[in-house]
Amino acid sequence: MTWNEYLWFAIPAVLCWVGAGSLIYKFRKSWIIDGLMIAGIIIFAAFIVGLWIGQERPPLRTIGETRLWYSFFLAAVGYITYRHWKYNWLLSFSCLVACVFVCINIFKPEIHSTNLMPALQSYWFVPHVTVYILSYAMLGAATIASFIQLVNLKKDRLDNNLYNLMDNVVYIGFGFLILGMLMGAVWAKEAWGHYWSWDPKETWAFITSAGYLIYIHMRLQKQHYIKFTLWMLPVSFILLMITWIGVNYLPAAQNSVHVYSN
Amino acid sequence: MWQFPWRYRESIAIVLGIVIIGFVLQLTIGEFDFFLLQIPVNIVLGIAIVILLVILSFTRKSAFYQWFSGVPFSVTIISALLVLGLVMGLTPQVMKVNPHDHDLFTILGFTRVTTSWPFVLVYFLALLSLGGLIVRRLIAFRKQDYAFYLNHIGLWVFLFAAGMGAADIRRYVMHVQEGEVEWRVYSDNGDVLELPIAIQLNDFDMEVYTPKLAIIDRETGVPQPENKPDYYQIDLKRPESTLFNWDIIVKDYIHDAIRNSDSTYQEVHMPGASPAALITTKNKLTGEEIQGWVCSGNSSQLYMVLPLDSQYCVVMTQPEPKRFLSDINIFTKDEQNAHTILEVNKSYKMGDWTIYQYGYDNQAGRMSTYSSMELVYDPWLYPVYAGIILLSAGSICLLWSGNKKRKEKNDLE
Ligand code: HEM
Repeated sequence: MTWNEYLWFAIPAVLCWVGAGSLIYKFRKSWIIDGLMIAGIIIFAAFIVGLWIGQERPPLRTIGETRLWYSFFLAAVGYITYRHWKYNWLLSFSCLVACVFVCINIFKPEIHSTNLMPALQSYWFVPHVTVYILSYAMLGAATIASFIQLVNLKKDRLDNNLYNLMDNVVYIGFGFLILGMLMGAVWAKEAWGHYWSWDPKETWAFITSAGYLIYIHMRLQKQHYIKFTLWMLPVSFILLMITWIGVNYLPAAQNSVHVYSN
Repeated sequence: MWQFPWRYRESIAIVLGIVIIGFVLQLTIGEFDFFLLQIPVNIVLGIAIVILLVILSFTRKSAFYQWFSGVPFSVTIISALLVLGLVMGLTPQVMKVNPHDHDLFTILGFTRVTTSWPFVLVYFLALLSLGGLIVRRLIAFRKQDYAFYLNHIGLWVFLFAAGMGAADIRRYVMHVQEGEVEWRVYSDNGDVLELPIAIQLNDFDMEVYTPKLAIIDRETGVPQPENKPDYYQIDLKRPESTLFNWDIIVKDYIHDAIRNSDSTYQEVHMPGASPAALITTKNKLTGEEIQGWVCSGNSSQLYMVLPLDSQYCVVMTQPEPKRFLSDINIFTKDEQNAHTILEVNKSYKMGDWTIYQYGYDNQAGRMSTYSSMELVYDPWLYPVYAGIILLSAGSICLLWSGNKKRKEKNDLE
């Protein structure tokens, strides 16, 4: 199989995922959602396997190929997490981002042959990035919840259910974040000789996790510093965005190994 | 303030005090010298910390211990690390401080935060506080707290092994000529040393991606259109493309090409070969068609461009490396030897040494006559990995159970 057959798999998979991600708000019948999600994942996996056999090598070398894996893992991990936590928005979000990656590969086909520099040709690349995307989704959701809770605080009506949701989502998101960092560390050891070299991106990842750790630990003493604790989520999310996008623009990052764009 | 139970005020005062002591040390005796911690000092220090924690644990009911291992103090420590992290993340960090730099930033250690006293002291404080917490919670062991143990013990092991281990890590670069054996390496400071390990380079090889085509101004060499140049990466499955004002078709592509006397190319697999392509171009405005060879060239072959008119020509860019590999033999003083092929992301581990493909002669590319390897000595790698494994198990617990099983009441509330 080659990229020529991509559309035959991509369109059905997108239809399944878009279906599941939107019907979830209409139907109580979970088998429809489960069926659509699993069908989409299997169809998409079939293409990856086919491409693997057709090219006689694992499709991990070009940016386009790694995008296939993002779509696959976002749908699969998003679905598993949804099954476990039953947050509808989580499924919709994973499906949406998975479909975005599918569509980039359809509409920007020249990207298939974009060259991956040798250091990026590692089986850590895909899990490292996918886990981060999931983490950003969770922590983004927690930030929105924290704003709602701050409004509640003003009205002196703190919502305990919202607190539970926030804490859960922060724990999940932080779990993914640490996993992403640890995978990055092991990968760095394999590629560059050291697991942690205080590269600017690593430094900012450290800052970000310190921010979330402050929230997690301050929440253990629920009656204290409620407003400060709630504000830690938006602040940490800003730190997260700097880690993700902003680092490339910092003067401190001129020699970072993470600035790939040339 | 200073009335037990201590909370944030006291915690902030003490952490600030320690940071200030750090700055005073920095100003008086200069940056922290990590080499002081070399084996066996770090091991002794580790044992001392553990003994200290065990002795202190007898006072675990005291208000002081509760504070020292409690939430307000740990949040303050984490905040201090965050602030020092911000300094590190916002200012360029240097490997080695220039002795002639006397600005305030440098003197306070801001250009190399990880070896500055404030950072080292707070790091150490975190190890102690976290250690105290772990001991307290281990004594009151509860099975259902497994996630807590995995996260905190994992982090402690990681912080300890990575921090203390930093003193024992050695990294060197070795440049080996093809066919020769090399014992000498260069350290970060450029010193030449002899190691108990030698490498023979049998062969260096490199694979490259297909090159790109572009149209440049013959005079200035600037790729066109000037503000947003078009590039087309040669792909025989899609041989047609458009660059600037020309349609281009690749008729023939030779990855390993050598020029014939009549300026055509033929396939020859040898180090001096370079990619070449036969292309036809068609001007979209005038319809004029031109055919000819382009070649990206290298140190043994001239590059070849295809002139389009008096102003523009088509060029082939230098191909980007896809993978580069060194076929090496490794010998050690104690008569061990091994044969392996080294590649980026495929290192080779021999005892406490790990050998990495590092670089090559960038000018010569494929024709590089030497290969550079990085040799890293890290006896603390396994403890670090143990920490990483515990911590990842802890993260999976976090994302699987969230804070669902939160115990009803924290013992500090
Ligand atoms: C990856 C890093 C960390 C994670 C995921 C984490 C997570 C947690 C969680 C989930 C709890 C509540 C668990 C329970 O009480 O059963 C907790 C408690 C606590 N953590 Fe952490 N933590 C981390 C790092 C740290 C650090 C660096 C410190 C101290 C410097 C610290 C100090 C504490 C303290 C004092 C408690 C309260 C427990 C008690 O007083 O019994 N944690 N942490």
